[in-house]
Amino acid sequence: MTTAVSSSAGKPPQQRRGGFPSLTLVELRLLAREPMIMFWALIFPVGLLVVLGSSTSSKPQHSYGGLRFIVVYTPVLMMFTVTLLALSAMPATLASYRDKGYLKRLSTTPVGALRLLAAQLSIVVGLSIIVVVLIMLVSHFAYNVPLPSQVIGFILAILLTMTAMASLGLLVASLATSQRVAGAIGGILFFPLMFFAGLWVPQQQMGSTLRAISQYTPLGAAVPSITNSDFGIWPGTTHLIVLAAYTLVALRIATRFFRWDR
Amino acid sequence: MEPMSTTMSDITTDTTTDTVIAVDDLRVRYGATLAVDGVSLAIRRGEIFGILGPNGAGKTTTVECIGGLRTPDSGSISVLGLDPRRDRDAVRERLGIQLQSSELPDKLRVGEALELFAAFYPEPADPAQLMEMLGLTEKRTTRFANLSGGQRQRLSIALALIGRPQVAILDELTTGLDPQSRRETWKLIEGIRDQGLTVILVTHFMEEAEYLCDRVALLHHGRIRAIDTPANLGAGLGQRISFRATPALDLEQLRALPDVRAVNEQGGRVVIEGSGDVVAAVIALLVQERVVPEQTRVEQSTLDDAFVALTSEADAELAAASSAEAR
Repeated sequence: MTTAVSSSAGKPPQQRRGGFPSLTLVELRLLAREPMIMFWALIFPVGLLVVLGSSTSSKPQHSYGGLRFIVVYTPVLMMFTVTLLALSAMPATLASYRDKGYLKRLSTTPVGALRLLAAQLSIVVGLSIIVVVLIMLVSHFAYNVPLPSQVIGFILAILLTMTAMASLGLLVASLATSQRVAGAIGGILFFPLMFFAGLWVPQQQMGSTLRAISQYTPLGAAVPSITNSDFGIWPGTTHLIVLAAYTLVALRIATRFFRWDR
Repeated sequence: MEPMSTTMSDITTDTTTDTVIAVDDLRVRYGATLAVDGVSLAIRRGEIFGILGPNGAGKTTTVECIGGLRTPDSGSISVLGLDPRRDRDAVRERLGIQLQSSELPDKLRVGEALELFAAFYPEPADPAQLMEMLGLTEKRTTRFANLSGGQRQRLSIALALIGRPQVAILDELTTGLDPQSRRETWKLIEGIRDQGLTVILVTHFMEEAEYLCDRVALLHHGRIRAIDTPANLGAGLGQRISFRATPALDLEQLRALPDVRAVNEQGGRVVIEGSGDVVAAVIALLVQERVVPEQTRVEQSTLDDAFVALTSEADAELAAASSAEAR
């Protein structure tokens, strides 16, 4: 090794072993040490599902497009969780790292921004998958919500939703100047996004203009895609394109403007 | 993995005087002010090189340029023959940087932090061994938030060394530490140097530089005012002799002596500063005048004095320049 020390200068660095797996693992551990995030992201949505599923009518409702309440709300709950993780938990974490100077410290190592962002992205997508599967199983076995019969369409739609939201989260993390600002932006975005997803008013009850607008928001495009998949209908191509576009644009801007330092 | 000590001691068998870091005419501008104004440095392998200066002198900016964290407006930098911006990854693998006031996530444990950073480098040191060396073994499972200032500082040094760097940059290493921890940290740095690492130490503590550094650069308003060993920088100013004189002495007689630069009376004591044979000349005069000096003190000027002298000189120049401009 020693002879290499002085002579390797100028040669390309040897191929680097990861850093990415370690970074992802450590970030997961840190997340597991945040009980509040774990509660809101994992336990709360499933609990809410049980409360809503047990207390609402099991009859199809005309106002829900002829569907049962819980069938309409299951994808909304999925979106709620994904959004919370992507737009609230992750940007807050990254912004606090920047506030502390931890990102700058990382920038002095060979790890690089790409691995750091990839680790955050994988954690958001990974946890989202776990919660979505959990919600799907509970809603199916407890409340007879159909499992998606258009499986490929569902997987495509839900993964694109997750990457779109995670990319928006990275964008918030990149642009926010502090953890407080990240929290504020995340919070401000949360309400319109969830509104168009149908958290307060199901899309079926929205006026035609509102509904048209919602199809071009990430969660507004996601929810009907998932509901459709439940009934074997291929998610609308426009919806998938909308989700992919959000992912690409947000990622592009996030990596372009990512700052290690305040 | 080879034990760290073998590798490091092998490095010292290289030529000990070759330049590992060369900075030439570095300039960095923040808005209207030049934070770094034409800094040139040549740092040799295996030395502890101090960069000293008051707050805002441009110390951190200079080392951030060396570390590739900041792009200079002009000038060139070579680190181990590499360009910190162009050969970013190669430089990062060979350079360990301890940043001023950078924290880790609150809930990250000491051991986890070292394992994590070890994974970033091609041939890292053994985290367990580093923890042992820095007295962190007992704190292995302690979260960052629960570490004391001294422990955080030691962890920070450990992280700067985990990639087995050839050069370590330590920025404001002991700021905020109590005197006991400061001394302990100094011992650690000496230990690191003995392993053959080149260390750049950024500090505003004269005592620290005097204790640790082989050479120091005095930085003031973005310019280097002097580069030398701490002893030489002090010696350039000469000596100071002070005493209580009975009977009182005519200060003008003292001022007339060769090699005397300044004579003052402070709290009943006569204080004479000068160079060369000033002490001998003063004593000869005292004998001749039959004056008995009491509580005599002879001091070699320190780095501290050198620093004050150089910075006040520079400030006077600046003031003169700006008043000339105003006219």
